[in-house]
Amino acid sequence: MNRIKVLSIVLFFVMAASGLFAQPAISPERKAAIDSLALEKVRDLSKYITIVGNKETPWSEANRVIERTLELFMPGSQMGVSSLFSDDVKYYGIREYLERLMQLNYDKVRIQWYNIQYISDLEQQPDGRFVGVITIFQRFEGITGDQLVYKDTTKKDITVYVERKQTQIGGRLIGFWDVLLGDVRVTETLP
Amino acid sequence: MRKIFLILAVFLWIAPDLPAQSIGRYLGDEAILMAQTKQVNQFFRRFNCEESPDGVRYYPGDSLYRDATFRSRYISVLFDNQNPSISDEVKQDFMRGVINGKNSIYLDFHGGEWFSEVTTKFIYKGTEMPLTLFLRLQEEEVGSKWVITNVYFEPFSRLFSNAQPDGMKFLHPLSHELDFMNLIHVFKDKNEVELYTSREYHPDFLTLFIYEVKNGNLLFKTVQQVKFHFFQIPGWYFELADFNRRSANSGWLIANLLKINAEEKELMLKFIYHE
Repeated sequence: MNRIKVLSIVLFFVMAASGLFAQPAISPERKAAIDSLALEKVRDLSKYITIVGNKETPWSEANRVIERTLELFMPGSQMGVSSLFSDDVKYYGIREYLERLMQLNYDKVRIQWYNIQYISDLEQQPDGRFVGVITIFQRFEGITGDQLVYKDTTKKDITVYVERKQTQIGGRLIGFWDVLLGDVRVTETLP
Repeated sequence: MRKIFLILAVFLWIAPDLPAQSIGRYLGDEAILMAQTKQVNQFFRRFNCEESPDGVRYYPGDSLYRDATFRSRYISVLFDNQNPSISDEVKQDFMRGVINGKNSIYLDFHGGEWFSEVTTKFIYKGTEMPLTLFLRLQEEEVGSKWVITNVYFEPFSRLFSNAQPDGMKFLHPLSHELDFMNLIHVFKDKNEVELYTSREYHPDFLTLFIYEVKNGNLLFKTVQQVKFHFFQIPGWYFELADFNRRSANSGWLIANLLKINAEEKELMLKFIYHE
């Protein structure tokens, strides 16, 4: 009996140290709730990209939105961009990507999003956190004068990190699922 | 629910045959994007019939989870239909093996027997060069991760393909009596050093690769192309590739399909790894 007790205590500490307690398995119902949380972040990202790209957005407001956008991401996240003309992936930091978008040399920029999104399963990483990918599609149009001078459709595969966290509210520990965005693969597609 | 599935399914099944021009611009774009196999994850789910045509996950207990009829339709649109080398007979043979009542075979993300081939560009001693990395999913105590298992790099391959055994290059069996002083002959010609190794010797390009990266001679530049090799269905090999084109038959599709036995599997692996 005593040996079982000792074994249980050892097992408890091993599991606690490895983070297994902190990251429980995800049921289909929980997955659906996490999906909508993640989609909300992706919608925020889409909204912020549209605002930053809009030529009518004042400079200071665009910069404020860039800061808000960065809060959605894990530090160090990258945008990997390829075009129809080159398979090479070009890498940009999130801030650099948004600042380039802000500085595009068109009179008007129109960014629209297709009403299609695809959400992968969540897979557990060795550090205990879960990772998924949400795919969305964007149409971009750059207009100078009355002329549509550039347009593209891009597929954006966005990494989503999901982590079980705890916070103290009124002396009680409350668990919640935290979602952060990660690297984004941007592929130009044929519209 | 079943009705909605049928309506969406009908579009998905017939969409690959529709010419892209016949679809209205905005609606057409959406429908094509809907039909496209957008992630490798979606390929797995469609192959197993574990999601609806609009991407809603099915779980065990759902009425259409792994439904044989719908699965058969799903798999039939997961082939690159612009590749004439995959004949209808081969496709049918493959599908009969995969959808077979209680003996049906499903793809398993964590089931092994599949790996990725990633074409990259590195700067090697100042020159941009292609380099192929092979990666597989490795299960860990918690979760899983992709790991690099092999490398193909033309300069490495060239370096190790020069020496041809001619039966004349060896250290004679009494070399030890001379304190191996005859090693002087071994290292005279650097191109033939490997002729003095055991017959089990095989150059390990992954170690060479890591050595060159650590020495700063290989600098990563970019990823160019990704594809996957599947040996998970017994008796079959298929290649999964991404088709970026204006068609419902786009995204991650079966680009190659071959019926193979164990011996052919070994040959195929050697071919993939450039061995």
